[in-house]
Amino acid sequence: MKITLVKKILADGSPCKKCGDVLEKLESSGQMQYIDEIVVADEGDLSSAGMELARRYDVSRAPFFVVEEEGQEPRIYTVYFKFVKEVLDQKTSEREELKEIMNDNPDLDFL
Amino acid sequence: MSQLLDLVDLDNALQQQSPQEILEFAIKKHGNIAISFSGAEDVVLVDMAHKIDPDIEVFCLDTGRLHAETYQFIETVRNHYNIYIDVVSPDGQAVRELVQEKGLFSFYQDNHQECCGIRKIAPLRTKLHELEAWITGQRRDQSPGTRAQIPVIQDDRVFARPNGSLTKYNPLANWTSQQVWDYIRSNDVPYNALHDRGFVSIGCEPCTRPIGPGQHEREGRWWWEEATKKECGLHSTNIKS
Repeated sequence: MKITLVKKILADGSPCKKCGDVLEKLESSGQMQYIDEIVVADEGDLSSAGMELARRYDVSRAPFFVVEEEGQEPRIYTVYFKFVKEVLDQKTSEREELKEIMNDNPDLDFL
Repeated sequence: MSQLLDLVDLDNALQQQSPQEILEFAIKKHGNIAISFSGAEDVVLVDMAHKIDPDIEVFCLDTGRLHAETYQFIETVRNHYNIYIDVVSPDGQAVRELVQEKGLFSFYQDNHQECCGIRKIAPLRTKLHELEAWITGQRRDQSPGTRAQIPVIQDDRVFARPNGSLTKYNPLANWTSQQVWDYIRSNDVPYNALHDRGFVSIGCEPCTRPIGPGQHEREGRWWWEEATKKECGLHSTNIKS
């Protein structure tokens, strides 16, 4: 299995806050050991590796995880807690996961 | 990958279709599909879908905090169309813990996401695990700042089962509020009585208020929260080469 984390740099060169939060969570929980590669989606550089991946997998938010396993289609995770639960098989707080989903998907406000 | 390309092409094609044509496509394509009905003007979807398939499944997310008028309206719709509506409730223990810890109105202090997560999103996720596709009444004009990119069809990675897939349809994505109301009036579709009292966007009772002329409907929801700019999206003009 290969896990790639795509983090974003905004068009003005500043780092994405959520990407920083997720990186910190990965570090503090020891989950960073499972990440094989970190690539940057630079909004100011269309050809950056992360922007290429976002285009290829039709992802419109960052950070996101690409999980590749031989013989299977790559799986994309845009929710950190879902990734942790389903790929790393680790226990997560449902309340935190739900908050993340709400924060990242404002369209859900109108359901 | 090929599936993804198919979906992108499909979205491009469906963007040109009417809501009825999109619904017909979705209902014919998926045997296990349901409409998420909020008890508001998205009733147009129920009306349109019922004309295509009288047995279409509809579900509502009952947060436990809806207006009495909304509960009455859900019953009106159930009887009017003689359809099965799955009224989905939140997990009692999760609500109990939230209320014990933070009280009944925590959203006025720390924003609505946590309460919505427990009362709406958790039961939604449970419900969606039963389905292969779902239909929403989301429209681009509901909140121009955040919804400019709503596709008509999308691969719903947030709510898909582990190792499964889920397709989400937004047939009203390209319709305006005016078009929705023109449809309601011209087809004698029943509607929530709150609309006649100035409510445009209708959600939970403590988080919804009527608005005045010229106000955007988003101003009737969570009005105490500062509109913070979301930054997790990848700028679309950069993604689409």
